[in-house]
Amino acid sequence: MTTLTFPLSRIEGHAQVVIETRDGEVHSAHFKAMELRGFEYFLQGTPAEEMPVIVPRICGVCSTAHHLAAVGALEDAYQVTPPPLATKIRELMYLGQLIQNQATSLFVFTLPDRLGLTSIFEHAADAHSEEVRAKIAGRALGVRRAGTDLITLAGGQFIHPIKAVVGGVTSGITPEAAAEMRTQLEGVLPLACELYDHYWEASLAMGERLGTWGDDSPAYYVAAIGGRRDNYYSDVIRVMSPDGVICDSFHPRDFRHYLTFEDTDYSYAGRTSYKGELIRANSLARVNMGEPAGTVYTDHYLRRFRETFGRPAHAIMLFDLARGVELVYSLERALAILEEPLDNEDMAP
Amino acid sequence: MKRFAVLQLSGCSGCEMALLNAEEWMDDFDLGYMTLVMSAYHVPEVEVLLVTGGVRTEEDLYRLRRVVRRAEEVVAVGTCAISGGIANLGNRPEVREVFLTHEKRIHLPHIDTVVTVDCYLPGCPPTPELYMAVLRKESDFKAATSVCQECGRNKPKDMRPTQLLGFQQGEVLPDVCLVNQGYLCIGASTRGGCRALCTIPGYPCVGCRGPSNAFIEKESEAWFTSIHRVFEHMTDIPPEEIEAALRSPQLSLFLFQFADYAGGGQAPRHKDQVV
Repeated sequence: MTTLTFPLSRIEGHAQVVIETRDGEVHSAHFKAMELRGFEYFLQGTPAEEMPVIVPRICGVCSTAHHLAAVGALEDAYQVTPPPLATKIRELMYLGQLIQNQATSLFVFTLPDRLGLTSIFEHAADAHSEEVRAKIAGRALGVRRAGTDLITLAGGQFIHPIKAVVGGVTSGITPEAAAEMRTQLEGVLPLACELYDHYWEASLAMGERLGTWGDDSPAYYVAAIGGRRDNYYSDVIRVMSPDGVICDSFHPRDFRHYLTFEDTDYSYAGRTSYKGELIRANSLARVNMGEPAGTVYTDHYLRRFRETFGRPAHAIMLFDLARGVELVYSLERALAILEEPLDNEDMAP
Repeated sequence: MKRFAVLQLSGCSGCEMALLNAEEWMDDFDLGYMTLVMSAYHVPEVEVLLVTGGVRTEEDLYRLRRVVRRAEEVVAVGTCAISGGIANLGNRPEVREVFLTHEKRIHLPHIDTVVTVDCYLPGCPPTPELYMAVLRKESDFKAATSVCQECGRNKPKDMRPTQLLGFQQGEVLPDVCLVNQGYLCIGASTRGGCRALCTIPGYPCVGCRGPSNAFIEKESEAWFTSIHRVFEHMTDIPPEEIEAALRSPQLSLFLFQFADYAGGGQAPRHKDQVV
């Protein structure tokens, strides 16, 4: 028996693919992600207000999601509703995270595969490729930075946010700071569109080279978007069936009645299903389920995605292309929210 | 072009994300290895090795020992590498009981108990400008003495809270010091350089940059004493309440950095090695 181990890169955390072969035939293949730090255990006994600022350390890429999920869970436990202004600022935090995450995922993690490079920082062999790479790398990091700066503005700290607390947020956003952020995002939006267009073309070429967009088994889709593509910070979770119909919706605290978790012998992550069926979340789910946002570039890209791949689209390599739509949406939505007053006195309802 | 590499042990990638925010290194430095952003299997010979994350597994230990041999200079970046951080919180006995059945756990809180570290860059994570100061070896770079210095909130003498009720008050007054508002903020004795990103918007400092140079070569009691003195000076909160609040899991993430074994028979880290 021969065992081949492939460490994975351009991923957060440590993972590997381990393939066992015997006499030239694949005997087994496993994806292994092995990192246990014990958050579920050492958090027990921690003062409640500290949880939202410890759990961002679960992941430095999606820290904001952990921060806001923790605060949301505590508010549900305490039966506290934050004021509308706080909800708006928290949505801005999420949008900052989405801009940063999708830009990182698209242009740092997955673009190298499309360009045939080991990274966007690797200097290319010929002058022309090097020029292309340098331009992409610089712009990609600039788009990423806009996301980080928005997280900092709305969330306080630039990687592990601190501003959301039980009952609201610790401070608002001044008109001057909001205007400055708007200018930065306005500058970055055309760059993001340009990079996404480049990414789209390169991905289509890669799709053609590979002859497939990956596993396209029909799946259910699960996302916390409020019906329209209006609000990522929603407390309604919706389910879409494989043939594209919104078939269910529930509040997060009732998840046990809709989603089932089971341990498996092929993955430490186990298996979560909806009525025993395969489910997918994340960007492809949201792009399948969302309605046009009413903003120029998002709707253009959403239409292009659906005309090219249908609705719902199932192939898993389309997650990356869906992230591009979300990157543009997050920029446009953040620009809209930043037009509104974000630092007025707001009393709890 | 100077070449550097980033070795990620058991961590969250927050330090790597902060490095990506720095950007300026792209044109002046050659990145030889960083699995978050490049397909690379081997660490080449490099002038500088940044190590993030804590040692949690046998694999972390093995990789750390093997990779430092390729580097001229080793920099411990972030709380987890410097003193265990999150990886160390999982060392609590009740956690170890659960996880020992899954995987052998190493009890090595700091990477400098395993390998020689030339420079320490504290923060959770450190800011981009701090990274650039380390990579560029800016000898005249000096981080602000304390977070207090960079924060700028006013300290009204007549506002003396009697209890640590900060989070239960329902609002944070802008411009007023968080200590005066009854928060356990330890920014007065915490190393600056982070631009007070937490305290300015209204969240108390938890000390993620570690003790300021005044305490870094002393044992942890010195840091605790200094925090008590600040609260004695500015508030009427009973010292027992401060003492109890200081012993929380969150603060223990950061409060034992650097000073944790000074006075315990091991030489403390020299303050000139800390950025």
